[in-house]
Amino acid sequence: MLEFDGLRKSYGTNLVLDDVSFTVAPGQMYGFCGANGAGKTTTMRIALGLARADAGEVRWKQQPVDLELRRRIGYMPEERGLYPKMPVVEQLEYFGRLHGMNTAAARKSASLLLEGMGLGERSKDALEKLSLGNQQRVQLAAALVSNPDVLILDEPFSGLDPTGVDALAANLAERRWRGVPVLFSSHQLDLVERLCDAVGILAGGKIVASGTVGQLREREANRQLRVVIAGSDGRWARELGYVRVDSDRDGEVLLQLDDPGRDQDVLSAAMASGPVSHFGWRQPTLVEIFREAVAA
Amino acid sequence: MSHPAGVDEHTADTSSYDRTGDVRMTSSHIVGLVARREILTRLKDKGFIVSSIFIIVLIMGSVVFQVLIQSGASSVAVGITGGPQYFSAAIEEQADALGLDAEVTEYDDESTAREAVQSEEIDAAVVDGNSVLVNESLDDALGAAISGAINGLTHAQRLADEGVSPEILQPVSLDVMSLQPAADAADEKGLVAFVSILLLYTLLIFFGQFIAQGVVEEKASRVIEVLLAAVKPWQLLAGKIIGLGVLAFAQLLIICAVGLGGAIAFDVITVPGAAIATVVQVLGWFVLGFTLVAALFAVCGALVSRQEDLQTVLLPMTLILVAALVLAITAGQNPNGTLAKVTSFVPALSTMVMPVRVATGSVAWWEIVLAVILMLATIVAVVRIGGRIYSGALLGKGGRVKVRDALAAERVS
Repeated sequence: MLEFDGLRKSYGTNLVLDDVSFTVAPGQMYGFCGANGAGKTTTMRIALGLARADAGEVRWKQQPVDLELRRRIGYMPEERGLYPKMPVVEQLEYFGRLHGMNTAAARKSASLLLEGMGLGERSKDALEKLSLGNQQRVQLAAALVSNPDVLILDEPFSGLDPTGVDALAANLAERRWRGVPVLFSSHQLDLVERLCDAVGILAGGKIVASGTVGQLREREANRQLRVVIAGSDGRWARELGYVRVDSDRDGEVLLQLDDPGRDQDVLSAAMASGPVSHFGWRQPTLVEIFREAVAA
Repeated sequence: MSHPAGVDEHTADTSSYDRTGDVRMTSSHIVGLVARREILTRLKDKGFIVSSIFIIVLIMGSVVFQVLIQSGASSVAVGITGGPQYFSAAIEEQADALGLDAEVTEYDDESTAREAVQSEEIDAAVVDGNSVLVNESLDDALGAAISGAINGLTHAQRLADEGVSPEILQPVSLDVMSLQPAADAADEKGLVAFVSILLLYTLLIFFGQFIAQGVVEEKASRVIEVLLAAVKPWQLLAGKIIGLGVLAFAQLLIICAVGLGGAIAFDVITVPGAAIATVVQVLGWFVLGFTLVAALFAVCGALVSRQEDLQTVLLPMTLILVAALVLAITAGQNPNGTLAKVTSFVPALSTMVMPVRVATGSVAWWEIVLAVILMLATIVAVVRIGGRIYSGALLGKGGRVKVRDALAAERVS
């Protein structure tokens, strides 16, 4: 387990992280969401030893993360950075070796990654000669080259075209399958929703929501019941004393219950007013969960 | 938080990567990796290679220049036909006293002597001891030597004619008491020391710049963030200093070997032992000086984020080196003066002043030891304090980091 435990950090009087705690399990893909400046990058940099927490610690397998453990972490910083004039395969090899690989293993891993990314032909080119998209791929390769036990990726999908997103997602899925916990931050919530097992939402330096997407949905306070009765107006619903109608359009009614246990009563009332073609709890999107969590 | 979903089948707490080939990451291994990258990168860098060759050529050029100046102790060729007895020996003797190396050839008659002058085989021809043939004008020193020789011989002849023994003309021999017995040898050592500190200065500035540029490059490209996630700042600093140090030392060795070889071959120096001792001493001081300068330049480089801002922060360091060079040249002229003595102990300045003092003056062994100890203490201090500034400043973003802020900044573990 990769555990973030009670992280606290302030720059001057500006409190950036206020008791941030969450856990990423092996093989879990954890999406880290939050508005700009919410503290995602600071949290990740603390895990990598690039910033020091005022309180709290990050643990991997119950051990506080030190330099030794950090070598087993693949990291992609928010601000991309590699040696502009160094041939890409050489720098990947260098990073592999800095993370403890022997020369042969680092060389092999670097070539395999570049070939997998369709950059095999460019491996001897200096990084600066590659397009920005390809530089982004190399940056990711630098995080993956040492076959890390943990992946911490800061906005790995930003700047990638849809093909790049799919390739990266496939690569991460494979790592995940091997039991690697993957923590990545993103503000592309649709992507997080699609890829992640678990989500943490950071706002104002606090984790305001954390859990699997399913758990977050269940926890959603303003859950809506969606009932569709073709050709009906929503009067049948408004006449019920125990619901609040949020919207009523073309026979589709979205309503909230004061007591969620009375959903079956709503169904009975709906069936009495006409042929019900849809009845169910509406799945809130991550965007909605996010908005509500951040607003709370 | 509760159990994660969808990961039950593969939640083993270890990943399935093969780690059998992994290397134990000792500090020396990491420093070695960093140093190796520095060396390989520089060797592939055309700018570095071109500048290196330029420096080597520059230093060689200055050696050749010295050779030309030294070989100004000119030699002349003189022809004679007729003239008094012992004439040729007298000319050689007189010329030698005037610092000329005269080679005298006897010709059978005036016309062959004239031809020799015209074909520039000889500089002058003396006919019958009373006229001199030259192409354009007679060299002053050579003229003095010739007339000295004629006068001397004529006087001796006249005295002999009067019955006076020529013995009376034996010059009073002067007892020369040299206050600096090995003055010549000291001059040679001084020359070697001068060329060496010039070389030292050039290489220190050159490699100092390269180190600082390398540090800024890592900051500007933000690769530093990836590096420091796996490497301690001091390991990075040490790797850079050692990597570029190896290159600088190799360059210095090449220049010294070729320069010393050339100087011996061209007779600029005739006491190779002393010159080699001076060179070895300079090499030792170079190692100390390089470590200090490299650390200082690296720390300065860490304070800025753009190459454009680099020269501003490097200026004070560059001025220290210029001061050291000036003081070293001054020390060469007055090696036993107070200024030379004091500055030869001041760390950083001592790198250049002390070798000059040792080469040209008299230095007690304890003075060298003291200067080395002071230098080592400074290196330790700079590496420790500078290392903190370096690590504090490395992750600082944008513009210029103040030293105080860097020291106060979060230290990366």
